[in-house]
Amino acid sequence: MRAVIGGYAIRIERRADVRWWHTALASVLAILVSLFLVGIAFVRVGADPLEVYSEIIKYAFVSEFGLPQTINRATFVLLAAFALIVPLRAGLWNIGMPGQIFAATLAAFGVAYAFGAKTLVNAQLPGVIVIPAMLVAALIASAVYGGIAGYLRGRLQVNEIVTTMMQNWAMLWIVAHMIREGGPFMGRTAEGEGFTLPTSLRVPQVFDLPVTVYAAVVLALLLTWFLTKTTLGYRIRTYGESPRAAEYAGIDATRISTLVFALGGAFAGLAGFHYFLGVPGVYKIPKNYADFGDFSFYGLITGLIARNNPIAAIPVAMLFGGISGGARFMQGKLRLAFGIDYALLGVLMIMMVAFQALAQYAVRIERAVPIPATQRERGESRVESPHH
Amino acid sequence: MTAPETRAGQVVLEARGITKRFGSVLANDHIDLAVRAGELHAILGENGAGKTTLMRILFGELQPDEGEIFLNGQRVRFRSPRDALRHGIGMVHQERKLIPAHSALENIVLGHPNTGAILDLRQAEREVSALCERYGFRIPLHAKVWQLSEGEKQIVEIIKELYHGARILILDEPTSVLSPPEIVKLLESLTRMAKEDLAVIPFITHKLPVVLEYCDRVTILRRGRVVAEMETRQATEQTLAAAMVGRDVVLQVERVEVPPGEPVVQVRDLWVRDNRGLFAVQGLSFEVRAGEIFGIAGVAGNGQEPLAEALAGLRPAERGTITLDGTDITQAPVLERWKRGLGYVPTERRTVGSIPTFSLVENVLLNYHFEKEFSRWGVLAIGRARELTERILDEYRVVTSGPDAPARSLSGGNLQKIILGRVLARKPRFLIACHPTHGLDVGAAEFVQRQILQAKMAGTAVLLISEDLDEILALSDRIAAMYEGQFTGIVPAREATKELIGELMAGLRRERV
Repeated sequence: MRAVIGGYAIRIERRADVRWWHTALASVLAILVSLFLVGIAFVRVGADPLEVYSEIIKYAFVSEFGLPQTINRATFVLLAAFALIVPLRAGLWNIGMPGQIFAATLAAFGVAYAFGAKTLVNAQLPGVIVIPAMLVAALIASAVYGGIAGYLRGRLQVNEIVTTMMQNWAMLWIVAHMIREGGPFMGRTAEGEGFTLPTSLRVPQVFDLPVTVYAAVVLALLLTWFLTKTTLGYRIRTYGESPRAAEYAGIDATRISTLVFALGGAFAGLAGFHYFLGVPGVYKIPKNYADFGDFSFYGLITGLIARNNPIAAIPVAMLFGGISGGARFMQGKLRLAFGIDYALLGVLMIMMVAFQALAQYAVRIERAVPIPATQRERGESRVESPHH
Repeated sequence: MTAPETRAGQVVLEARGITKRFGSVLANDHIDLAVRAGELHAILGENGAGKTTLMRILFGELQPDEGEIFLNGQRVRFRSPRDALRHGIGMVHQERKLIPAHSALENIVLGHPNTGAILDLRQAEREVSALCERYGFRIPLHAKVWQLSEGEKQIVEIIKELYHGARILILDEPTSVLSPPEIVKLLESLTRMAKEDLAVIPFITHKLPVVLEYCDRVTILRRGRVVAEMETRQATEQTLAAAMVGRDVVLQVERVEVPPGEPVVQVRDLWVRDNRGLFAVQGLSFEVRAGEIFGIAGVAGNGQEPLAEALAGLRPAERGTITLDGTDITQAPVLERWKRGLGYVPTERRTVGSIPTFSLVENVLLNYHFEKEFSRWGVLAIGRARELTERILDEYRVVTSGPDAPARSLSGGNLQKIILGRVLARKPRFLIACHPTHGLDVGAAEFVQRQILQAKMAGTAVLLISEDLDEILALSDRIAAMYEGQFTGIVPAREATKELIGELMAGLRRERV
């Protein structure tokens, strides 16, 4: 697109290559614009936007209680983002994080249940053995649950978005069956939630954070390495760029799509393992478990904003983790109307995605090449191509 | 159609000093061109010489940065193709612009100024039939366009332009999709149009024989400039090619006789379906020996592509067997075939043969990622892949900024060199080369052909699929003509003539296979 104003031409064109700082700058701009827009809403309800934002930041990133919460939520979102990123590198969409998360969580609690964790309240169970067993069960269950969608896609061309979405519903009802009235995982006292894990089976903590937090950061590095340097990562990327070229190169479509969904599912499973077995104050499948299914979709947005880069996903996940907790806290403290925290998150998401799209384009201002008035095109918008 | 005031030989359409820039690229550099009534005027040049740009300027699709256009001595300026058509200039593009679900007649009539709210198809049909009659075009007017062959579709477009009042008809590579008999028919019609009605027909081509045989005059472009203009009576293929490329070139690499070795590939009664589920390959049987080039000539869409894909393992064989060095590979997965010595250069360079966003190293890896030397403990041996890439870039004289350049930055010729280079570096037992020089410059084409010949001399069995009859005739030891999924003949090179193969390709004749 080109517009001529006076002696200058403004040209908007697609960037040949988008560099990381284009994306980073776009994200920062998106945050600023969102804060400004939502700020108008705050003024409207009589709150000072600056006070609101400082409350959010103080709570989410500084306070003793808020910061661990931010980090724990961010880890959950980050792992869910990996669940999107791996299949998306192969050109496939995983939106089955909730299903995969609870497949893993149920499997982990199932192992605990088998060791009698439900009936023996203060049981001194051998965590050294049981916790790894729970982890392995969780990873296998979520990998299988995710892998089903990938296999169906690769083998029978069943749309993976539809499959994973239906799997979400199926799994949420299975969870309901397991933890509600009469379900095998029903808690001893409270109705509608799962039993609480005995202390001996909780994910161990380092510096007051579950080890899964540190694992997620290490996994971001490992995943980057895996995708760029390994043969399997190369095959995944090849399939993602061009399934036909991959076929030509002898890359098996079914194997790749099953693999990326199994791997993606396992990452989502780890997110569930982290949150329901590792975060202090949780240690069970809570009553509002479905909200956490919804919350995992922030991983989807995070993956998209980070443009499929596992490391770039870390700050984005921190942002969503922080604001989701901080905005709720602020809403209560300043006695604002219900839902304004969601408004902030929603606007932020839209702006992030929109600015990422804009980052693909460059605006150039240049001196217009004089075109004789008689020869100027009128009413034409043809794309001129030099490739002839 | 006739313009009574025009005399044969009179300059009708003239361009003076046409200049067009695209960014830093000078596509047309002060081009002068004069097209005379009653002549077939060829615009000759390699890819990127500026032919199409010039034609699009004459047709009003692009505006020149500098220069003027004269029509019958009067200065004109076309704002749009519609504007050009009002002055009687029509253009038939390389890519078809027809609606497949409509009939030929409906497509021809579509957009005509006389077509009001109510379509009088019967009246239109009379006029269109008369037009066809006059120039000897034979087209089933009521057939849907998707049912027509590529050649027929092109004729529909030509008639459409004529029906809409074009007297100057610009044709962009009109012969590239036609079989030899179709080429003859089209050019005879065009000649009749030019001679009888003094129509003006500039057309673009890079096919030298066509220029020499049918055109009266030729303008040669190189790098956006006119390097020569001459009457074709004075020209030879050599002089034209030298002017086009800017140096002496070997027009056609010569075949080298090598005593053929043992059969490497044997195909028996092969049946393959296309994407629509129809049998595109119908019971083919043949063998290719070591040190032999087996050429398959045919117009696009006669089953060559499904055949190549079935041999490469990308498409299932419904019936029949394929053996490679005595092993039955009919059901073998793609990788196993590569490991057993298959090499495949696909038709679609940019969607199948390469990944535009990947670096050249990563593109070379497409044929090596499964080899132990290139994947240690599941980690890519990037260093080794880089060495191999650099070697190919060097040996094949690929013009690029380096092994890390994305494949999309390469021209078609350079990309093809990399694809061929990485396949040949595997020293394949059996090479399938599909349209290896299609769309390539004369220089690059010559290079690619030499490499294929060298592979043959090294004992590779080569299956060469091409629409370029000259290429097939020059390189192959045996030539099969393919028509509607079957071989209409397999002819040894010394008995093959262009006429014979042309007739076999068009299904006009059948030899005992």
